[in-house]
Amino acid sequence: MREKRKISRRAFLKTAVAGIGGMTLALNGGGAAAQEKSPAKPKPAKKVLGVDVIKVGGQGVISGAHADYGWQIQAGATLAIEEINAKGGILGSKLELKFMDEELKPAVAVKNARYLATDWGAHLLFGVDSSGSAMAVGPILPELDRICVFDHASTHRLTEELVYGKGIKQIFRIAAPVYQESNLAALIFKEFPNIKRWAGIHCDYEYGYSTWALFQDTLKKYRPDVEFVSIAWAPFWTMDFSSHISAVMAANPDAIHATPWAGEGVMLLRQALMMGVFDKIQAWFQCMGGSVDLLEGISNEVAAGKFKDKLWATARYIHNYPDTPENKKFVESFRKRWNRFPNYSAENAYSTIYVFKAALEKARSLKTSDLIKALEGLKIMTPAGERYFRPEDHQAIYAVPGGRVVKDPNYPLPILGDLKIFSPQAYYRNPPFEPLKMGK
Amino acid sequence: MGFPLFMIEGKDMETLAFQGLVGLSVSMYLWLLAAGLTIVFGVLGVLNFAHGSLFMLGAYFAFTYYGLWGVNFWLAIAMSLLSVGVVGYFMERFFLRHIYHMDHAFQLLLTFGFILIFDDAVKMIWGGVAKIPPMPSFFEGTVSVVGRPFPVYNLFIIGAGVAVAIVVWLLFEKTWWGKMVRASASDREMASAIGINIPRLFTGVFAFGAMLAALGGALGTPVRVVAPGIGSAMIIQAFIITVIGGLGNLKGAFVGALIVGTVSAYGILLFPVFELFLIFLIMAVVLMVKPQGLFGG
Amino acid sequence: MKTRLAVLILLFLLALLPFYAGKYALYVAIHILLLSIFSLGFNLLFGYTGLLSFGQAGFYAVGAYGCGKILLAYPSLLAGIVGGVLLAGAVSLLLGILCIRHTRIYFSMLTLSFGMMIFSLAWKWRDMTGGDDGLVGIPRAPLEVPGLFKINMAAMENYYYVVLGFAVLAIYLFHRIIHSPMGLAMQGIRDSETRTACIGISVQKYRLVAFTIAGLYAGLAGALLPPLESTVTPPLAHWSHSAEPVLATLLGGIYAFSGPIVGSVLFYLLKDIIVRFTEYWLICLGIIVVILVMGFRGGVVGIFVREGSRR
Repeated sequence: MREKRKISRRAFLKTAVAGIGGMTLALNGGGAAAQEKSPAKPKPAKKVLGVDVIKVGGQGVISGAHADYGWQIQAGATLAIEEINAKGGILGSKLELKFMDEELKPAVAVKNARYLATDWGAHLLFGVDSSGSAMAVGPILPELDRICVFDHASTHRLTEELVYGKGIKQIFRIAAPVYQESNLAALIFKEFPNIKRWAGIHCDYEYGYSTWALFQDTLKKYRPDVEFVSIAWAPFWTMDFSSHISAVMAANPDAIHATPWAGEGVMLLRQALMMGVFDKIQAWFQCMGGSVDLLEGISNEVAAGKFKDKLWATARYIHNYPDTPENKKFVESFRKRWNRFPNYSAENAYSTIYVFKAALEKARSLKTSDLIKALEGLKIMTPAGERYFRPEDHQAIYAVPGGRVVKDPNYPLPILGDLKIFSPQAYYRNPPFEPLKMGK
Repeated sequence: MGFPLFMIEGKDMETLAFQGLVGLSVSMYLWLLAAGLTIVFGVLGVLNFAHGSLFMLGAYFAFTYYGLWGVNFWLAIAMSLLSVGVVGYFMERFFLRHIYHMDHAFQLLLTFGFILIFDDAVKMIWGGVAKIPPMPSFFEGTVSVVGRPFPVYNLFIIGAGVAVAIVVWLLFEKTWWGKMVRASASDREMASAIGINIPRLFTGVFAFGAMLAALGGALGTPVRVVAPGIGSAMIIQAFIITVIGGLGNLKGAFVGALIVGTVSAYGILLFPVFELFLIFLIMAVVLMVKPQGLFGG
Repeated sequence: MKTRLAVLILLFLLALLPFYAGKYALYVAIHILLLSIFSLGFNLLFGYTGLLSFGQAGFYAVGAYGCGKILLAYPSLLAGIVGGVLLAGAVSLLLGILCIRHTRIYFSMLTLSFGMMIFSLAWKWRDMTGGDDGLVGIPRAPLEVPGLFKINMAAMENYYYVVLGFAVLAIYLFHRIIHSPMGLAMQGIRDSETRTACIGISVQKYRLVAFTIAGLYAGLAGALLPPLESTVTPPLAHWSHSAEPVLATLLGGIYAFSGPIVGSVLFYLLKDIIVRFTEYWLICLGIIVVILVMGFRGGVVGIFVREGSRR
């Protein structure tokens, strides 16, 4: 590294002023009046809600091993918005969507939320795949004065701690939280007296910790004879689960409970098959195994019967339940529009838009406080069944079954069959919430 | 820290041996990645930050040829090597060649720029969603090792890794090209003086290193996720391996890969808490105590 | 004289920013100021002393977590910021002692590994750091000196002025350091280690000082973050975050005083603008990096100041 050049004063002045000027111009959309776009500018009373266009800002993961979920959220929301706009919009105002990539990073999710709300002018926020991002976005919602309906982020802490505990009322969650894969699994497997030794292969982050802790807690209550013999933790970006699988199999478990999801989940199951796991165990519960991308990924193996009927799963919605006209219509429209089956993120996002519609129609206002009042206690029919947003923690209550992963001649990909259906009251936690002891 | 330090529940010899074998198969991917990295550093003097991206490209190309176009598995691997070799050629010939005289810092920065470019490029070409290719049928099945089923594919990987080690060793020790490369590595000016075309040789070495990385990626395709960013996730481990073994030292890279792979595997079995921290601690200790690495000097 | 005028005009424009910029622009402006502080410290190590550190994010994170923990327990803005900075300084001093004996590639890799060790600690030590969820609900505590004044920080404009104040202070101090005998010694070490050692300057001592100052600056940038975002998470310590001041400084100009600052502005502008048009902003950034390294190693500032462009 040779000589440092001394900077001339003129150059410094030039670049500095250019920098400030450029920054101001660019950040204000280049030439436009430098004002914050305020969403609810009153217009000559044409629309009930006071705006021509209702802006909906969403985010999810659009890249990496979990990218399908962001795609599904966007697809579901877009379908709903197209349907609603075709029928005239909400109270005469059309919907507009802007979707951003949260990159599985809380800092990015927060920045996106701020941008969507303050710069782009979103009236409503939704989405967010990762629990960490949700926990970061939640607390800034009061400052942004917007509600956000969370679609995927499954940590119980979002509703139990932030809504019920800290009173951040702008948070609503439409997707089933970790109660689904932990407590429901316990309810299913308490009925299998021969399964006594459980092992876990779990995500080495909060999602994995809370799921495993809840599962153990609940199962132990019903079956004190059960032992938890082994656990392996897999961080984000684990590509090779062989070491994890061999570590837990060394303890001779009867069954395995696993959280790695999306592409990682597919690889985990494949590698488990390769290692002959399904010859030895009695059952494997793949937490979000009912998700479309995972089912697509293992369809050849399911068709060949490799899982020996031992693979169980659940999801936050499965397209073949419930058997209602609402659900059938949604699945058909989604398949027609996108040529794929809808994932739970898609259904959650689709329903989110309709939830927004219901709230806006009830409140007849875009004000956050009015919307909160409209959403609390809201009962609405969605493809996943009837959802009820309980006022205590703003969590939507609805039933999703667990089942065996099977091949069905009516569908081009595996589905969950042999469904075990429970009323959500049986497995959702209720306030007051005991804090969860999450050891490792 | 509020949780048990490690979990040993009567892990017997067989369990430990089996876990070691699993760790060995994981090491092979790391070896293939680290081998190219260390060769490039040893000969060209450049630490290629983007080497993991070449690994990732190998996986993507193999997925395309084998998974999408239905090409024969072995042919697909060969094609993937060639494709990444071409990428490596362009990288060296038009970019790296012009910065050899610069401070190491700029070389790191340039190759870092390439990481950004490759990560987005694969998203643009293949889409951001992870790819999951089929498994070649002749690799299915297991063999019994210490009474447990060990996948045939993992055995194949171990075999392939060892085979590559032998071939590369032979290449550098016994062939004319290998001798030229070694001569240029130890004294560039002398080598040039006796008539070796250094620029062309360097391009060849870089392409060779790129192909090794691509081989690692391509071999992993049937069993691992193919997604943007899988390269950057591994590059740090590759750095650790080359540091432990000694920058520029092939034997060191092999041993280093074995260490990192098996420590990881045993870490998952015995010390589920500390695994990540442990690896970096080892690298830091080696750097402080013997920065040339175990085999360097 | 002219520089002073230029600086005053600049400060004037910045002081008035909340009045002509929107809310989101103000938020980004604060981030730019933080990156400027971060990059300035980084460049003391790189541009002036010749050491490329890929682990500065570790100290940034220490500052952020330190401030966050303090604010959660005792909501006074000054206590949090000062505490975070001091903690980061202490950690960088300790790690610096281990690092500065090595140079070039080994130094870079050692800093990389220490940064990642801090990252894995932040991720695993749930009891202390909240694990991958991080510290949540950190208050934007009031700026108070007990007995003297207490200013509420709920409005982002108020916090902007606090950050601006710290940034100006940091830049001023940096200017003093560069033009001190110590600063000249550091540049001497960068240009020729042997010659500098020959004239009796302790190379190790100045490297350590530079490393610690860089750590303090990183810690300041980190400590100013929690009151803004109310959350502190492990990715702040990841090596990919360490790359930000590297890229910003390269973009602005390694050899210039204002380089890191100009680079920080450009870095944010570029990302913000590109992201509105395409999701593929990484490839744009990558191409810019390649172009800069191949032809414009003096960065943007270097383009304006062509005198003596070597290397």
